[in-house]
This record gives sequence, C-alpha cells and structure tokens, in this order.
Amino acid sequence: MKGKVIVITSGKGGVGKTTTTANLGTALAMMGQKVVLVDTDIGLRNLDVVMGLENRIVFDIVDVVNGHCKLKQALIRDKRFEGLSLLPAAQTKDKTSVTPHQMKNLTNELRKQYDFILVDCPAGIEQGFKNAIAGADDAIVVATPEVSSVRDADRIIGLLEAAGLTRARLIINRMRQSMVKRGDMMDIDDIIDILSIDLLGVVPEDELIIVSTNKGEPAVLENNSRAGGAYRRIARRIMGEDVALLNPDEVNKFMDRFKKIIKLAR
Amino acid sequence: MSTTLRRANGELWLDLSGEKTFNGIKRSLAVQINTLDDYLLGALVSLDVGSKQLTNKQVREIEDILLDHGLHLREIVSQPPQQDAAYPDKPVLEGMPEYCETLLLCRNLRSGQKICSDGNVVILGDINPGAEVVAGGNILVMGSLRGIAHAGAGGDETAVVAAYRLNPTQIRIANHITRPPDGEVVTDRDPEVARIRDGKVIIDNLKI
Repeated sequence: MKGKVIVITSGKGGVGKTTTTANLGTALAMMGQKVVLVDTDIGLRNLDVVMGLENRIVFDIVDVVNGHCKLKQALIRDKRFEGLSLLPAAQTKDKTSVTPHQMKNLTNELRKQYDFILVDCPAGIEQGFKNAIAGADDAIVVATPEVSSVRDADRIIGLLEAAGLTRARLIINRMRQSMVKRGDMMDIDDIIDILSIDLLGVVPEDELIIVSTNKGEPAVLENNSRAGGAYRRIARRIMGEDVALLNPDEVNKFMDRFKKIIKLAR
Repeated sequence: MSTTLRRANGELWLDLSGEKTFNGIKRSLAVQINTLDDYLLGALVSLDVGSKQLTNKQVREIEDILLDHGLHLREIVSQPPQQDAAYPDKPVLEGMPEYCETLLLCRNLRSGQKICSDGNVVILGDINPGAEVVAGGNILVMGSLRGIAHAGAGGDETAVVAAYRLNPTQIRIANHITRPPDGEVVTDRDPEVARIRDGKVIIDNLKI
C-alpha cells in the first residue's frame, strides 16, 4: 500500500490553505481513509488549532526530522476519527530547521502507513514552500477570487511545474456568487482562463467557517455548512468519484429557472 | 550578364548562373555556342544555371539547342535555392524586421517567469500578468498577452509585438514604454499588433 502525498499551497497568505487542509483531511477520514495532516508552517503553526488538537502536542516535525523522537510519538491521533492524525509544526523554530531532503524522507515514511498525506504549505515561496513540496506527488492550489491571490497562485503553479508537479488542481475559496453576479468579483471562468489548470472545486464564502475554526471543529462536520458541503464534495472528487461542480448558487440558478417556468405555466 | 566558358579535358563548362530567366539562359547559350570552333563538335557540355530550378521541358529545350550545334549535354548544375528564394520576399507583417533566430515556446508563461532571446520570440500559449518576455526582435503571442513584452530590446524601433489577445500590463519596444490607458475595460478583441509609428507605440488590428 502506497499513500498519496498532496501538498496544499497558495502563495498568498490567508486564502484558506490551513482550513482546506483540515476540512479535506477530515472529510477523507469520514470516508474511511487513513489520513495524516502535516503542518510545515514552522514558526507559525495553525493546523493544530484549527483541528482543536493544540493541547495534545508534545513533539513536533522538527523533533522527528532531527531524531529527537520517533515519528509515531509525534503523530497526534484526532479526537473524532480513528484514521486521522496530525503531525504538528514547531512553533519555537523557523523554516530552515527542516530541509527538503528530510521532508522527502518523512513523507516516504508516512506513505507506508497512510492513504493520504496532506501537507499544509506555508505562505510564500521560500524555504518553507520548498520543504512542503519536496515529497509531494500532487498539488492543490487554493486561490480566492481576488486579483492578488490569482497572481500569486499563477506564480506558485509555475514553481510547481518547475519542480515537476505539473498536474496541480485548483480550489477556488471564499466565492461570493452575489458579488460575481454584480460583476464585483472575478468569475470562475476568469480565474480558470488565467491559471489554465483543472478545477477541483469551488468553496463558497461561509461565516460558519470562522465559527468552526475558532471552535477547532472542521466545517465538514457541520451538516448545514455550505463550505463544509463543498469540501465534502471535493474530498469525493479526490477519491476519484465523478461529482458535479454543483455549487449552491448554481442550484439556486436552476431553481430560479424552475420557478420561472412554473410562473409561466400559471 | 557575364557568361564564362571554360574548357577542361575536352569538356565545356558554361557558367550561366548570372542569367535571371530561362529565356536569358537560352539567349546566352546561343551566343556562346556561336563563338565556338568547329573542332569541338561532339563535346560534352556542362551548364551552371545558378540558383534556378529548370523543368524537364526546359532541360530538353537546352538539349535540343546543343544538339543543333553538334554538342551533347552532360549535366545541368544548379545550387540549392537560396533562403530568400524559398521564403517570400515580403515579411509576414509589413515593416516587420527580420531576425534569423527565433525562440519557439509551447507553454504558458506564468507570473515570475521571464524569457529572454536575441531574436524573435513566438509563444504558443499565454503570457500571464507578472511574466515577462524580452526579445531582441519581434514577439508573437498565439494566446493572451497579459504580462510585459519587450520587443526590439537591442534598440530596434521597427520591432513589433503581436498577440491573439493583446491585454498587456506593459508593452516596451526599443526604449519606448507604454501601458494601456487607466480604466480600460478589457473586452474580447481581434488579434492586434503594437509597433512604433512617429515615435509612439500604436496598436493596430493584425492583418496578415
């Protein structure tokens, strides 16, 4: 059994890499997969907080690569799902504490035990980024419908291609259909036109994400979260299922049309 | 046109490479043959026709002329066509300078990526915002140009930038720098070409 290493990256900060990693990891674990989340944002760790596992950290990724502890000791079992684990980043060190070579060895070790290794990449294109992509088989690029985010995503895709990760897929996060309709926000087509990579999913803007992040409970666990639903669909797509890109507003559009037809019939 | 006639080992070598047309060749040939002495009867003749390619019918005509004077055709020597004969004299775009070297790139240029070349650059893909192409010659983008293109970087003011969709951040030609007017709404347009006219960068529809 050989696990798949997927790096989740964006270039720009604050677009939702960590939230995406936490939610996709949880959604995959809900589907019975063995998943480990690796936080490579050394010095600014967040993934443990979003997962609600901060108080369980004893060892971290720097301890593992330097041989201060065994890999097994540093892995934190999730409180909700048996098959979900977290390898936290160190908070007191910086990104130069780990080399790409060490990351490669680490992901190869994790491959033996897990189906999916989701690597949460830090913002930027420096050492932390190079570490995060070192052992990856696949990449997911997260972008929000803003020009600056799309610009950074484009840069990142170029760097991924240069590193041999040519099949990166895109998640558009924090989409507001109402703003797109008014022409105040970039359209999905505009973004795809510039980035020209495959679209993996569109996650709508959702206030519940903030609530769930603060609580340390990934939004995919909430049945009424629109973003959570989008992440569950993306997880199924990662598993190879053919799920339509149905974001809720497209459903609304369909419903509008349906209503019109009913009105006409009357 | 100077036509030279050489004799070597009982063979005749006629250099008609200066003639531009087939009729010219025939005329020079006739003139030359008339100057020949009779004792050369039955000699073999080689013709150098330069860069022209003769058809079979034309070769037979020459054979007939030679036979009338009791001479035999040995061979017709012609050089491979020169480059300007194989390519049309007219450049693809009017006024576009010619550069021998062309870099062909079959991918998108993404933000942060930069391509430099002394000659032309042809890109089968997009140039995204934040990407840059610098060429000594012309730049041709078979996609969207959204980034920066610098043609004629060596100072050639006649260089052009052509794109299927021209929505650049900046266009630079030689030492001129322009950008689209502020607040310009990007719409789908036809292919366009940017070049310098009267010291200004002008954008025209691309007509080939």
